[in-house]
Amino acid sequence: MSWQVKTIAQRTGDLLPGSPWTAALYVLLTILAVTAFVTVAGLVLIYAERKIAAHFQCRVGPMRVGWHGVLQSIADAIKLLMKEDIVPRDADALLHILAPVLSFAGMLLVMIALPMSPSLQVADMNIGVLYVTAVSGLGVLGILLGGWSSNNKWSLLGAMRAGAQIISYEVSATLALLVVVLFAGTLQLSGIVQSQDTGWWIWRAHGCGLVAFAIFMIAGTAEINRTPFDLAEGESELTAGFHTEYSGLRFSFFFLSEFLNMFVLAAMASTLFLGGWMPLHIGHFAALNGVMDLLPPGLWFALKTTAIIFLIMWFRWTFPRLRVDQLMRLEWKILLPIGFVNLFVSAACVVTGFYFFAR
Amino acid sequence: MSDESIAVPELSPPPEKHVGTGGALAGPVPWIDKSGAVGGVFKGIRSLFTGMKITVGYLMRPSTVVTQQYPENRETLKLPDRFRAQLAFNHDANGYHKCTMCRICEEACPNVSIIITGREKPAVSKKELDSFVWRLDSCTFCNTCVIVCPFGVLRFDGTFESSVYDRRLLAYTLNEYAGPVASVLEKIEDPDARKAAMEPRDPYGGHAVIEALIVKQKAKKVAEKAAREAARVARVAAKLAAAVPPPEAENAG
Amino acid sequence: MSVHVSTLQARISGESTASSPLSTEEYFVNMGPQHPSTHGVLRLVLRLDGETVREVVPVLGYIHRGIEKMGEHGNYRQFVHLVDRMDYLSALANNWAVTMVVEKAAKMETNERIEAIRTLVCELQRIQSHLLWWGVFGMDLGGFTPFFYGLRDREQICDIFEKTIGARLTMNYIQPGGVMFDIHPEFVKDVKAFLSYLKPKLVEYDALLTENVIIQERLRGIGRLSAARAIALGATGPVLRASGVAHDLRKSEPYGLYAQVDFDVPVGTDGDCWDRYWVRMEEIRQSIRIIEQLIDNIPEGKTFLVKPAAKIKVPAGIHYSHLETARGVLGVLLVSNGKESPYRIHCRTPNFNNLWCIGEMATGGRIGDLVAMLSSIDIVVPDIDR
Repeated sequence: MSWQVKTIAQRTGDLLPGSPWTAALYVLLTILAVTAFVTVAGLVLIYAERKIAAHFQCRVGPMRVGWHGVLQSIADAIKLLMKEDIVPRDADALLHILAPVLSFAGMLLVMIALPMSPSLQVADMNIGVLYVTAVSGLGVLGILLGGWSSNNKWSLLGAMRAGAQIISYEVSATLALLVVVLFAGTLQLSGIVQSQDTGWWIWRAHGCGLVAFAIFMIAGTAEINRTPFDLAEGESELTAGFHTEYSGLRFSFFFLSEFLNMFVLAAMASTLFLGGWMPLHIGHFAALNGVMDLLPPGLWFALKTTAIIFLIMWFRWTFPRLRVDQLMRLEWKILLPIGFVNLFVSAACVVTGFYFFAR
Repeated sequence: MSDESIAVPELSPPPEKHVGTGGALAGPVPWIDKSGAVGGVFKGIRSLFTGMKITVGYLMRPSTVVTQQYPENRETLKLPDRFRAQLAFNHDANGYHKCTMCRICEEACPNVSIIITGREKPAVSKKELDSFVWRLDSCTFCNTCVIVCPFGVLRFDGTFESSVYDRRLLAYTLNEYAGPVASVLEKIEDPDARKAAMEPRDPYGGHAVIEALIVKQKAKKVAEKAAREAARVARVAAKLAAAVPPPEAENAG
Repeated sequence: MSVHVSTLQARISGESTASSPLSTEEYFVNMGPQHPSTHGVLRLVLRLDGETVREVVPVLGYIHRGIEKMGEHGNYRQFVHLVDRMDYLSALANNWAVTMVVEKAAKMETNERIEAIRTLVCELQRIQSHLLWWGVFGMDLGGFTPFFYGLRDREQICDIFEKTIGARLTMNYIQPGGVMFDIHPEFVKDVKAFLSYLKPKLVEYDALLTENVIIQERLRGIGRLSAARAIALGATGPVLRASGVAHDLRKSEPYGLYAQVDFDVPVGTDGDCWDRYWVRMEEIRQSIRIIEQLIDNIPEGKTFLVKPAAKIKVPAGIHYSHLETARGVLGVLLVSNGKESPYRIHCRTPNFNNLWCIGEMATGGRIGDLVAMLSSIDIVVPDIDR
């Protein structure tokens, strides 16, 4: 079974010559839809995090607002909206306001490239992987600016930690991405998904995929500043790190982009290593593949992403935090060499065609 | 004093003094290190999975949740008898207490939370207690007043919900009659039940005990009335049956 | 010997000792009085060179309540409940320290049952204190889950105390002349049930935190304190024992029923954070051993041998007595002029001395290390300021 990939951008393009105003409306609706998705997904993720964390810790989590506290996130969002938005007196006001916007924008821009199903993808660039890596780096700018402009030493420490951490771990994450790019032979995200119709890269590449997946998960967790790599906001060390001085809506922007970055990471990991919206196919076993195709691709994507998000939450609620020099050592002395070796081995595999169901 | 029913497992061994990980993150890089530390790295990674197994174990067993949903579980929540939440007077069955205003508790109180006012009775030259004021806001719940009282007048009980919106309400006068008022007591017919209603109740019973008693009495009265009515109806029916032969009999005849 | 005294201001305006070849600048940061990992209102002034800590200056006094001065205005029984508020996680041991010095000075009798109950509840509280420390330690190192596990199991001990004593934190239970109440009829059963509950949990703690590679990496070799320096700084308790000094008043000057029970004093070798962690985990196990030996053998007898309202008069003179709380040696020095209230009372609290080890340990470490060290000392701030 082959899927016809049709992105929203393509549909808009089809509309454009005939009725440009409809196309413009289409664009507007898409922007609205993405923003709405980001908000809703953020609220759901925050609720899920609180519930899952609670049950990891023998608690029940929010129980009061709505059935089992389902409306808790909304109540919190309303609370954050109504809080006073403080800019410290000696802060750089412009940068202080700009920082959460940048952080949020970086996350939002990645959103449009994620292939959620054959028909649900805003734009499918032929350099999709590169685009995602480049744009997700924008988030660190927001964190750095936020920490710098707050004029608070704890914030600055947090920002510097975040800067060093994200830039370092991006190297490893990119090395892990390149493994998949090598195997798939394309940078286009939908192309990478299509290339996994005979099996996911995590198991088809004789261990290279698995190693790359592990590196990507570690580096990705570090990039989104979550425990065990939450040094940027390490509560017990830096009070709240780079967003110590933020409150109200601006704080919620940081918070939301942090949670949505988790979604982006999970979506990228599932797209690259677990086949994205591609159902579980093994080679050309038509019977199995047919059964797997019964579930719609969007659901496959959702399931995989949820599983990885759960894994990230599981990390967070189990592990203690690393120290700043250990963090750097882990990246530059352990992950990076392994990543390079893995990349070379994968290249050899690709050149010799030594992987399952090679074309 | 031993209780054999509890199975006591063996004490686990202490944690290994230094569980070696070969310094994967802090020391030299493991595959350069000649001391065979690569095994330590795997041990370290395995330790991460062990931790994850523990946490997911709790996630999978919702029965391990220990949270108490407080205002909802008021019915089942019982504080121990000795819990020190509010100072109270021990009243006897008639609502009397034995305080003689000796002021030992007032002197023993470390932070002047007990203020006793009273006067001499000139005729019998004994003291008479006017008010025994206990200030919850300055009390440290040290229980000294209770143990020094020679007459066992004071006790701490577990009425722990003592938050108020006005600080002044935290000064309690303890020697007021704490049971139900006379008009309520009058409605309780059974003398034993009346005495029970006046006794110190459990912290959660409140007036519900008396109200339940009254409801029970009312229900009993209603049932008695219904029974009398039923008996009357039966009597009238029997009379009618005797006076007039049943119509079916006529039809049959 | 000369003592060099410098003010905080002098230190802040002093010369920078930044050692980096790059052009760097040292800076001062106030850690606290409101900071998540100072466990209260402790203020640490840090001199930082980037992430590296150059100097730590503890600044005290944010929760000074003058407990010792307050003690001069009341009688001895009234002073006992005040010391609940010093080291609130060892309230019973604090009670006992005051009781001990008063009983020794006023030559008050106790019996075996009283001593057994005191020993039992103090050991339970030592476990309770170490469980809380374990949870908070995990949280300071960034793992939130241990905090909840530690507190969950500590609650069980609090419930036992609630039944017997009637309070969970500030107990005022051990009194001159006895204990305030006899143990609850269900005390023995509850304690046994708790021990059988706790033992599997200890295995779980080890799997979750002790053996975790991140914890090992973060603790080992961090915050070294040599035995000589530990003694010189007056450190006691697990901090001293982790440095390799087997000093435990329960062994060296047994009080209560400690002479009759069999237990070991865990001793570290390096005096680093990991040793302090290990010593405390092992102390939980030793406390369980002590409780197991005593719980079935509580002698019969009265639990209060004097009239509670009777005046206690301590003969004039200087009296001293000390014992081992969960954090170290708590000594009470009592100067009496023969009246009902003490002329002067001074408490030698363990946390005050233990805190000053942080200056020794933290120099050259990172901020993350500093948090781990502070947490491994296990300070309770009200005990420092009193």
